[in-house]
Amino acid sequence: MNPFALTRRRFMQGAAAAGTLALIPSPLRRAFAAPAPVLSGTEFALEIGSVPLALNGRQATATGVNGQVPAPILRWREGDTVTLAVTNRLSEPSSIHWHGVRTPSPMDGVPGLSFRGIAPGETFVYRFPVHQSGTYWYHSHSMFQEQTGLYGAIVISPKTGYAQTFDRDYVVLLSDWSFEPPETIVSNLKFQSDYYNYGQRTLGTFIADAQHKGLADTVADRIEWGKMRMSPTDILDVSGATYTYLINGQPPGANWTALFRSSERVRLRFINGSSMSIFDVRIDGLPMTVVQADGNDVSPVTVDEFRISVAETYDVIVRPMADRAYAIFAQAEDRTGYARGTLASRPGMAAAIPPMDPRPIRTMADMGMAGMEHGEMPGMELSPEGKLLQGKVGVDNVAMMPAERLQSAGQGFPAGRRVLTYADLRATRPGGDPRPPTHEITLHLTGNMERFIWGFDGKKFSEAGPIELKRGDRVRFVLINDTMMEHPIHLHGLWSELENGHGEFRPYKHTINVKPGERLNYLVTADAPGRWAFHCHLLYHMETGMFREVHVA
Amino acid sequence: MIARLYRPLVMGLLPVALIACMNSPPTAGEPSAAVPLGIDLGGSGPVIASAQSELPARAIRAEADTASPRHSDMQMAHAGHNDAHGTGTVNSVDPAQHKVNLSHNPIPEIGWPAMTMEFPVAPSIDLTAIKPGTRVNFTIEQDQGGMYEIKAIAPAGAGR
Amino acid sequence: MSARIIPVAAALCAFAAPATAETPVAEAEPTLGMESGAMQPVMDQAIFGHAIFNQLEGRWNGSNTEFRWDGQGWVGTDYDKLWIKSEGTLQSNGTVDDGQQQFLYSRAVTTYFDLQGGVRSDIDSHSTRNWGAFGIQGLAPYFFDLEVTGFVSGEGHFAARLETSYDLLLTQRLILQPQIEFNIYSKADPARRVGAGFSDIDTGLRLRYELSRTFAPYLGVVYEGKFGQTANFARQAGESTGDVRLVFGIRTWF
Repeated sequence: MNPFALTRRRFMQGAAAAGTLALIPSPLRRAFAAPAPVLSGTEFALEIGSVPLALNGRQATATGVNGQVPAPILRWREGDTVTLAVTNRLSEPSSIHWHGVRTPSPMDGVPGLSFRGIAPGETFVYRFPVHQSGTYWYHSHSMFQEQTGLYGAIVISPKTGYAQTFDRDYVVLLSDWSFEPPETIVSNLKFQSDYYNYGQRTLGTFIADAQHKGLADTVADRIEWGKMRMSPTDILDVSGATYTYLINGQPPGANWTALFRSSERVRLRFINGSSMSIFDVRIDGLPMTVVQADGNDVSPVTVDEFRISVAETYDVIVRPMADRAYAIFAQAEDRTGYARGTLASRPGMAAAIPPMDPRPIRTMADMGMAGMEHGEMPGMELSPEGKLLQGKVGVDNVAMMPAERLQSAGQGFPAGRRVLTYADLRATRPGGDPRPPTHEITLHLTGNMERFIWGFDGKKFSEAGPIELKRGDRVRFVLINDTMMEHPIHLHGLWSELENGHGEFRPYKHTINVKPGERLNYLVTADAPGRWAFHCHLLYHMETGMFREVHVA
Repeated sequence: MIARLYRPLVMGLLPVALIACMNSPPTAGEPSAAVPLGIDLGGSGPVIASAQSELPARAIRAEADTASPRHSDMQMAHAGHNDAHGTGTVNSVDPAQHKVNLSHNPIPEIGWPAMTMEFPVAPSIDLTAIKPGTRVNFTIEQDQGGMYEIKAIAPAGAGR
Repeated sequence: MSARIIPVAAALCAFAAPATAETPVAEAEPTLGMESGAMQPVMDQAIFGHAIFNQLEGRWNGSNTEFRWDGQGWVGTDYDKLWIKSEGTLQSNGTVDDGQQQFLYSRAVTTYFDLQGGVRSDIDSHSTRNWGAFGIQGLAPYFFDLEVTGFVSGEGHFAARLETSYDLLLTQRLILQPQIEFNIYSKADPARRVGAGFSDIDTGLRLRYELSRTFAPYLGVVYEGKFGQTANFARQAGESTGDVRLVFGIRTWF
């Protein structure tokens, strides 16, 4: 008989096999084919590699984890010890830093401070206990891989349960994507620092201002800024001229949707995983109750909008009552684009996208000269350290009168909207260390926009030494922003307790956005030994010098 | 010859047909298959007892959150305000439409007599353990449109 | 041909022989075989390089056309750069005039200015001259681009050159640029047809449209003027001493 004939016996075997296959639950069968966007448990295998990316019909090569951009959501539980084997399949060194998660120093993932990085082909096993809960994120700390896609969310569930009830829970990871290589972006900025700024002052704006404020005032204003060789239109260094803004890796047109049933409470974990973009976030038609900032509980405060700077996180709870769609709208601070998603009761619904708010403009307060009229500086003298900084290659401005601005939400918000400020953040528990600080460390945030050099106290990382702390120190960091741009300052390994007027209920943050011309302070307990990175989280500022080591011995 | 192959043919094709059904594409009633959907990480579960006092909002306009009093949220994690519990027997399961047809006992909470009817099932519920003929306990909730949907369903314990 | 970073710290970033899987270390202060200087967390001493043609244009005065170029390029770090400058005019009769090439070392000294020193070579159809060059370049208040350079030749002649320009934005992409360059010499140099004193001026008003930041065609009008002794030399050679020309060119950088 023909050996390939379909005998009855063979048919029965085949049918049995097919039948068995049918019994496997369909979600599991799909998992064999598709990458898992959420990883849970205590053992993880992460593979860093090149990932093809298609955005709005255009192809690119991104840096992803397990074939995905953004990287998979990691779900941990407070109290567990997690083990993450990270394999680098790129042809250049890589690393992963667990942003906001307190790990022993060798597990912090900063090449050159924590470890040597992960060489191509190498596997590095991270292993550390998780002693906190909340929303965090992870990203590469090597070169510009964070810009090319290596970022993802971490959700750590609390041991004792949540403080607020909710029915649904979504990660909302905001990011920025450019089809230009990041090396080209920095190179462009080094030659022409306003390369990406298509919102500059023109003859047209001069005429409009003159009609509005009068010719004399307008001329005086132009002279004032011209003398300083500064432009008040510098909001973000890299703009929508090259960026597509993404929500969970999706461009605005893709309509990323989070589903709800009406009257359910929905928790949204907003993470700013971008490289250079500060977002103003609101949900059109729905107020948001902020319940956590940087992974830590805060007394709930209801707002219409909040500004989330790079690397910050805010957890909000919303309660959509109607059976409709709401637009989740995250505008870039310079209004050159937005990320957009939808909160809807059914898939396929979309809400009208609101128009972007007017573009903010810098003021004399942002230059650290609040309250001074054009050019007058009545008897005002720079501090001794300020005098030292002036005129240096790395410094284009020293704030004459840096001001406390925690009560202010910032520029660019229309009147009538409740916007979150740092003064609104009040921890739900008193701080863990009641000691007052024994000493202060003052740092000026400085930069030279024209040369695109950024640093602390006029010095790049390569020109300065580490900041030394002794283990157990209780210290106050004072930051003075001499530049006219926001800088989200991130200290690895130690909590930054922002002194915002709530006494012992000051919020514990890992990333603090310092406004232009602002002076703020926060307390730090140096309770973890090691070499910790301390830097502006605007990636191209960090890479051009705005970085320090904080060494806790 | 065909007559002899008839039985094995049907037996062989049945599981194939079942696979085909499970893999059927979304029906025309879901035109949005291409829209990327967020992954729901689930509810909060039971919450900490103490209610959190809300900071006075710097309100220019007052926002009324009057839909349900805060304290009732603290009672049970799954408590909606319109749910009811019942027991019954599964008649059929429609995985594609994500519905079940049940013959259920009276549900006094909402004044229902014993009935046989079809229910849509919440998307997050896995229906593969629910087989025709299974005795089940279930929870249904009414949405804004008045439709009852199954929020929880599980085989009832043996011998009850 | 976009500029690329050549990290000067690339050598610093080289690994020692890599371990395979690192075993986790307990809470102790780590070195993990990491000597200081072995690797840096950020490379803020990267080398960048760029070149720009401020003028790459045809100049037409109604009877003949010249071709003029004026470009610069540099490579280096934030503080130290090697800088090259080149300009010249190709006349309609085929001779190259007004050739000035500079090769400089540039050091950032203040927020907005670099100090530059090096050599200048006048290479064109006339006799070649070489000078030592010393000057400053940067952004002056009110956003004027400024270059002021002094020169000294082997024979003890001195010279100076000043160039400044301003970008007036009519719209985000339409930019009007007035520009002026003039030269002064301490002694006459007949072989190069330059006289002592205030010698020549090259000034223009150019309107460019930035199709992209790196490519902007422009139209404009320029005035090439010669004064004093230089004017005399020009008249003797049958050249004009003051020429107004229409220009069309490309402003490009990479």
